[in-house]
Amino acid sequence: MSKNPSLKIYAIAYLIFLYAPIALLPVFAFNDSRVIAFPLAGFTTNWFAEMWADNQLFKAFRNSLTIATTSAVIATALGIFAARASTRYKFPGKGGVLGLIMLPMVLPEMIISMSLLVVLIAVGVPLSIFTIILGHVLICTPFAVAILTSAFQSLDRSLEEAAYDLGESPASTFRLIILPLVMPGIISSLLICFTISLDEFIIAYFLGGNQSVLSVYIFGQFRFPAKVPAVMALGFVLVCISVCLLTIAEYFRRRGIAKTGGKDTGGFL
Amino acid sequence: MTTEKSNMIEFRDVHKYYGDYHALRGINATIRAGEFFSLLGPSGCGKTTLLRTIAGFEDISSGAVMIDGKNMANVPANVRPTNMVFQSYAIFPHLTVEENVGFGLRRDPRSKEEKAMAVAEALEMVGLKGYGKRAAHALSGGQRQRVALARALILKPKVLLLDEPLSALDKKMREQMQVELIKLQRQVGITFILVTHDQEEALVMSDRIAVMFEGQIAQLADPETLYRRPASRKVADFIGTMNFLPAQILSDSGATVEVEAAGFGRMSLSPDQVMGSPSAEGATIGLRPETLTILFEGQAATDREVLGTVEEVVYYGDMTYYDVKLDGASSPMRLSMRNVPGRPVLDRGAKARLGWSPGAVVLFR
Repeated sequence: MSKNPSLKIYAIAYLIFLYAPIALLPVFAFNDSRVIAFPLAGFTTNWFAEMWADNQLFKAFRNSLTIATTSAVIATALGIFAARASTRYKFPGKGGVLGLIMLPMVLPEMIISMSLLVVLIAVGVPLSIFTIILGHVLICTPFAVAILTSAFQSLDRSLEEAAYDLGESPASTFRLIILPLVMPGIISSLLICFTISLDEFIIAYFLGGNQSVLSVYIFGQFRFPAKVPAVMALGFVLVCISVCLLTIAEYFRRRGIAKTGGKDTGGFL
Repeated sequence: MTTEKSNMIEFRDVHKYYGDYHALRGINATIRAGEFFSLLGPSGCGKTTLLRTIAGFEDISSGAVMIDGKNMANVPANVRPTNMVFQSYAIFPHLTVEENVGFGLRRDPRSKEEKAMAVAEALEMVGLKGYGKRAAHALSGGQRQRVALARALILKPKVLLLDEPLSALDKKMREQMQVELIKLQRQVGITFILVTHDQEEALVMSDRIAVMFEGQIAQLADPETLYRRPASRKVADFIGTMNFLPAQILSDSGATVEVEAAGFGRMSLSPDQVMGSPSAEGATIGLRPETLTILFEGQAATDREVLGTVEEVVYYGDMTYYDVKLDGASSPMRLSMRNVPGRPVLDRGAKARLGWSPGAVVLFR
């Protein structure tokens, strides 16, 4: 579009800066050397085997998966209630309540984790996966509310009334009309909350007790140079999973738009 | 089957408040079974709110809404014998045309085949035969409108509610749908209640019209009465065009009212031409543009005649509108003439003889 070559160079440099480090992950994940440096030594899949055999890593991975899934489901469910309330009902103090729900989005995580830690210890709740989930739901819910509010807002109110008018109960109207139409929003919300929870570090570190999660585990492994190639392999696996999830999300989003005849206004890809 | 004369809807002193805002201010009206009824008024007059109280989407603050003799208090929308065509059509975008039309039959105990037959019949009735498998969102505005109609009529409601259903269509399509709706209403015999702000649409389609202003019914009558004998200046102004002139009431014997207006002179009017009760504000006479005729050379007035000067000429092809200032009157009168072959179009500044008849005059007190 632009005839200015410096803008083109800037754009390319920007993309390299953004993606080159990620491109290095598979390179060193398959490199047959414990030292992360060029020149490359040869092809190996040993690091994947090592990663697979690592029990602690496996446990951390399973913990992360449990936490991310649970947090995403709870935050999205809460988000549905909040988004529905904010788009359909008027009640006193609505602005304040919604503001408080959205606040954790801009609040430093450090403050959230510290205050949660103080409260949890004071109340006597033992630190575990459960406490991490509590923290993650807190930071994920604003994102879920933001995504779902826009999904609920684009819903024509007369669709609900039409279903009601045609004999359906409020509950069946929600199930037959509202839910299918906001489903793309729900899937987006689930995926984004899942991702936020999966790579969250501070809350997981503060509130995890002796339960390790993936982000904390990876950070810990960098203290041992010998372990780094296996972490690279793990990183590569995570990138692959992310790309898969993103593709699935985009597929559902586009299918949702095509089905309802809406106009495509951006998205992930 | 209800007879032609029975009442389908009855509003008994219906009030509706939104907080402090008094949206409906004592509505009393009856809508007969099988008639095409319109609620007409400017935006914000409460016509849509009134329609929604029939559907059950709005609770009323006081009074009663009766449908077919039953009080609808505490009867939720999903069990009322009414169905609605929404302004936005509210077609379910994730379903096919067939699924949309058959949506209301979900709780119907009939077999799948019978339901499919009913859907096909409904689609044929609105002229969408063979469209069943299409995705609803891929339809044009006019087609969506038909799907909405079929979806509402398939349940054979006692009353069909139409909330400005034609406002989103272009002029040609709108005129076509007006005729189709009238035909459809005669065919199914269901009471249709239409909300519209378009006075022409209401006049064309309705058996009777309720004109609403500020939460009240200003006049409820058939189209001709509404046009020829509007109950107030406001109604007259909202429906079509009317010329207003200040007038003096000279005498009122009960059988005839003697009136004098600048430019027109004295006239005697019968009681049915006199609207409203005597007030201190002073009287006004009203004349529709087509009740004033320009008399061309050799033409004699059928009744009475006044002289004036043409101030403005607006040519519309089939019609020409003139603003003519009468000798002795202060403001010009708007009149319309059909452009028939051989009839000249007058220029600005031309002198004109106007023919008129006291029988076409309405007096607002």
